[in-house]
Amino acid sequence: MKAVFISFYQAFHDELIEVFDNLEIRGYTYWDAVKGRGTFNGEPHYGTHTWPTMNGAILTFIEDDKLQPLMDKIKQLDNSAPQQGIRAFVMPAEAIYCPGVES
Amino acid sequence: MSIYESSVRKPIMTALVYVAVLVLGLFSLPRLPIDLFPDMGTNSIMIFTVYTGASAADIENNVTRPLENVLNSVSDLKHISSNSRENYSIVYLEFEWGIDIDEATNDVRDKLDMVTSSLPDEANSPIIFKFSTDDIPIMMLSVQSEESTKALYKILDDRLASPLSRISGVGTVSISGAPQREIQIYCDPQRLEAYNLTIEAIAAVIGYENRNLPLGNIDIGSETYSMRVQGEFVDAQEMSNIVVGSYNNQNVYLRDVARIDDNIQERLQEVYNDGKQGAMIIIQKQSGANSVQIARKVQAVLPNIQKNLPPDVKIGIIADTTDGIINTINSLSSAITDTLVLVILVVLFFLGRWRATFIVAIVIPISLVGSFIYLLMTGNSLNIISLSSLSIAIGMVVDDAIVVLENITTHIERGSKPKSAAIYGTSEVSISIMASTMVIFAVFIPLTFITGMSGILFRQLGWIVTIVIFISLMASLTLTPMLSSIMLKNNPNRGKVFGFVYGPIERFLEKLSNGYSKLLGIALNHKLIVTISALAIFFGSLMLMMIIPTEFFPSQDGDRLSATVKLPISTRVETSRTFGLELTKTFQEKYPELLGCTFSVGQPDDNNTYGMLSENGTHILSFILRFKKKTDRIRTLNEIADNIRQDLATYTNVQTFNVSASSGMGGQSSVDIELYGYNFETSDRIAAMVADSMSSIPGASQVNISRSEYIPEIQIDFNREKLAELGLNMTTAAMYVRNRFNGAVASYYREDGEEYSIKVRYAPEFRESIEAIENILVYNSQGVGVRVKDLGTVVERMTPPTIERKDRERIVTVSCVVGAGSVLSEVYTDVARKMNNIDIPSEMTYHIGGTYEDQQESFGDLISLMALIVLLVYIVMASQFESFVYPFVIMAAVLFGFTGVFIGLAVTNTPLGIMAMVGMLMLIGIVVKNGIVLIDYTILCRGRGMDVRTAVITAGKSRLRPILMTTLTTVIGMIPLAVGKGEGAEMWNSLGITVAWGLSISTLITLIIVPVLYSAMANFGIKRKERKALRKERKALQEVTIQN
Repeated sequence: MKAVFISFYQAFHDELIEVFDNLEIRGYTYWDAVKGRGTFNGEPHYGTHTWPTMNGAILTFIEDDKLQPLMDKIKQLDNSAPQQGIRAFVMPAEAIYCPGVES
Repeated sequence: MSIYESSVRKPIMTALVYVAVLVLGLFSLPRLPIDLFPDMGTNSIMIFTVYTGASAADIENNVTRPLENVLNSVSDLKHISSNSRENYSIVYLEFEWGIDIDEATNDVRDKLDMVTSSLPDEANSPIIFKFSTDDIPIMMLSVQSEESTKALYKILDDRLASPLSRISGVGTVSISGAPQREIQIYCDPQRLEAYNLTIEAIAAVIGYENRNLPLGNIDIGSETYSMRVQGEFVDAQEMSNIVVGSYNNQNVYLRDVARIDDNIQERLQEVYNDGKQGAMIIIQKQSGANSVQIARKVQAVLPNIQKNLPPDVKIGIIADTTDGIINTINSLSSAITDTLVLVILVVLFFLGRWRATFIVAIVIPISLVGSFIYLLMTGNSLNIISLSSLSIAIGMVVDDAIVVLENITTHIERGSKPKSAAIYGTSEVSISIMASTMVIFAVFIPLTFITGMSGILFRQLGWIVTIVIFISLMASLTLTPMLSSIMLKNNPNRGKVFGFVYGPIERFLEKLSNGYSKLLGIALNHKLIVTISALAIFFGSLMLMMIIPTEFFPSQDGDRLSATVKLPISTRVETSRTFGLELTKTFQEKYPELLGCTFSVGQPDDNNTYGMLSENGTHILSFILRFKKKTDRIRTLNEIADNIRQDLATYTNVQTFNVSASSGMGGQSSVDIELYGYNFETSDRIAAMVADSMSSIPGASQVNISRSEYIPEIQIDFNREKLAELGLNMTTAAMYVRNRFNGAVASYYREDGEEYSIKVRYAPEFRESIEAIENILVYNSQGVGVRVKDLGTVVERMTPPTIERKDRERIVTVSCVVGAGSVLSEVYTDVARKMNNIDIPSEMTYHIGGTYEDQQESFGDLISLMALIVLLVYIVMASQFESFVYPFVIMAAVLFGFTGVFIGLAVTNTPLGIMAMVGMLMLIGIVVKNGIVLIDYTILCRGRGMDVRTAVITAGKSRLRPILMTTLTTVIGMIPLAVGKGEGAEMWNSLGITVAWGLSISTLITLIIVPVLYSAMANFGIKRKERKALRKERKALQEVTIQN
């Protein structure tokens, strides 16, 4: 299992959920309206007067075989509107507790 | 879920909410009454007391003064004024506007109860009238007749007045000019004397003879009958056989001493329509009823009524006050339609896309229609104020939608899906559009607090704009994102035609913003010069104030004039009538614009209240002249009025005249000098002097002294001793004379359910000389007759006809109207200067009043309101920017807004009136919006790390388009108001001019001066911070050295 943390401009929310549905990724945790800024470039999303936009964030734990398709789709989304901003970070899930699923 | 998100996600709900608003609004529209002004209610009460036989001075002492003394303590009273005329006293109470008149009326009634017992016994109880705009007649009809003249009153009363009164909303229908039937018993004094008879005895006999009496019941056998005597006359000539007395054991019949004349009243008001005798019907409405609807109903039934009248009786319309209302409202409505089209075109020009234009434009009808719901709910009407408020609002309602749409478009261009772009694009700008809308509220909500007369007018303006802007704010936060999410596309394909048409516009706008950013760069390099020249422009424009005249309400170019022409006092009706007919002919020849000319002359009947209240007399001719509509003639009504004044001035037999445009608020402005003083002679002398010097002022036409001529009166001075010796008293003696001349009502003759008075008096041929009075026999209780000449002397004296009082002091008003081409303020200054040169005795005081006083009062209100508005706007901005300084930078726009107003008024030669003042109030809110947009974005750019200069230029370049767009929608929205030529347009021309000029000039200057001032302030702030930091560093360094 891999943990994928996706931070994105709010406007991507609907499209991202669609991706999840298509890839049959069921579980995720979504934070609406969170703040942040990119490491390298890109506009900050602070929800302030100066930077009025806000981010959304999703953390999902998926089977390893679904990782690549998800990353591809995210890349595709990012390319469709590069100014909006969507980034994904993958970490190993070292242990999980989830009845009926083996770690 | 936020409101924008739910509206985008639930498009059906959102759409239907606005459909509901539209439907409710359109449902309200046909139910709204139409009127010229908002309902002003009433602020005056009139107390009318009849005391027959008393002269003006007696009335003043015995009736008016006791009434005034008691009524003076009624609360909220502003002025108390009175007219004491022969036979009656009128006390006017003027209250502050906006008080509860019913409460005041009760108060007045209580006070009257206290004083009634101390009034003379002969005086009737005082009658209270609530006089308001509702009482102004809504229609006047003319009636021409030939053969039917004698029976005209009955014909009109039965077949015209009664059906008209049945129309719901019609208050009273008065008939003037139509004589009423009266049965005259004309006695011969010599025969009366010979038979030892008196008028009183005859009247008493007639009264006893002309009676039906029930006599009780009688039982005959098994039945009961009631008994009656049917003594009433069936025919007037029956009376000639009445036995009125006996002489030498012979019966004296009435026919022996008198002749019976079944005729009409002797003294009556005559009315001539276009030179033909007839009558005038005056229709007043019930208070609160809608004039326009009533007038329409009356017009609808008139053809039917005409059918039922004898063929020689013809009805015409002298005046329909609602004509003007309808035409005015129509021309304002068409101005609104023009505005709507223009605003949509401006939006299309800037956005270049039909879909985007539609999204923005749809907000206009929704918010406007929303105000109809408010009007219906609060019982208001469609009037000049409510409609011009709408027209002002049109240009402003699109502002918020434009900002929202622009941001959504930016998001879409950056790659968002329309739906997300709509939600987040709206959410980003929601705070800032709410803040700028708050500024508009800060301007318009205080308008709803104004009291006084201007308050009644502007309360509606305040509410309507507030409501319309609120609906537009809601719509732009919900409907605009919803429609954008559905209608806008990710990559709009721009066709060739589009490129061909819109390409040049696009390039022009591009060039404009590049040019602007360059200009801004230059201006930022020369901050001092820019600031100084801007200040120079502002102070220079203040100089213009010297040449801009002021006025109260613009004078309206209506279609009616009323003229009162006074011939020498005591002129007989016949002479006055001939002169009136001559004038009618002259007017008809000289003024091709004249449509109808009606005049009345003589004293009206007691039961014609309307006629009684207006000035009347045998020597007074009251004209009503109806002209073509403003758009159908070249001369203005004021010019015509001036010409008529010149005409009247050429007649030597005309003593005074008064020509006025007869429409409530927009009539010609006047300057009144109120002279207070008890002594008649002194005040007359001073009034004449004042009038003299007033006539020499060029702008002042038609100078009038309110106190009219002294009336020559025949007075009988009875000798009390002689009266007492003969067992007589003053009253008895006086009644004898009165009954012989004025007549004694003996009884009433009944026919067809109508009652006609039977009057006994001397025949006219015995009432034509002083000797006739002197020879009257007065009988005492012993039956001894004494002639009046033996009881006293008959002398001729002059008495003042009307004693006018204001605030319990005698007053004479000298007034003039502001002639065509002159302006109130100029005439006022001239009058005030002349007054200083007149030597006024110490026992007299004077006060300059009239329209100027009202104007000053309203201007005072509006100026303090302006201060309040500026403060509120400042508070809103300071809280938005969290700064005390930046609001001042933006407020600079207000100064230049006023500069624009002064330039505009000076260029178009428009006086500064109350409507222009309202325009200036609104400007405060409208002009700061541009500054807010500019500064807001500059602060944003600086927050994103730009230096001051770059931030200012970037913000300017990016905000130029929305600023120009919102400004142009408002300015162009004002153009139809500013240049309107239709009927009533002079009311809102100055408002349009003020806002259009103020906003355009202010925007042009704001675009340069605000960035310059901002950068100066910001640089100053940065330097201060640096200095502080430096000081801190030095201090730290010092501490370190000390420690070491």
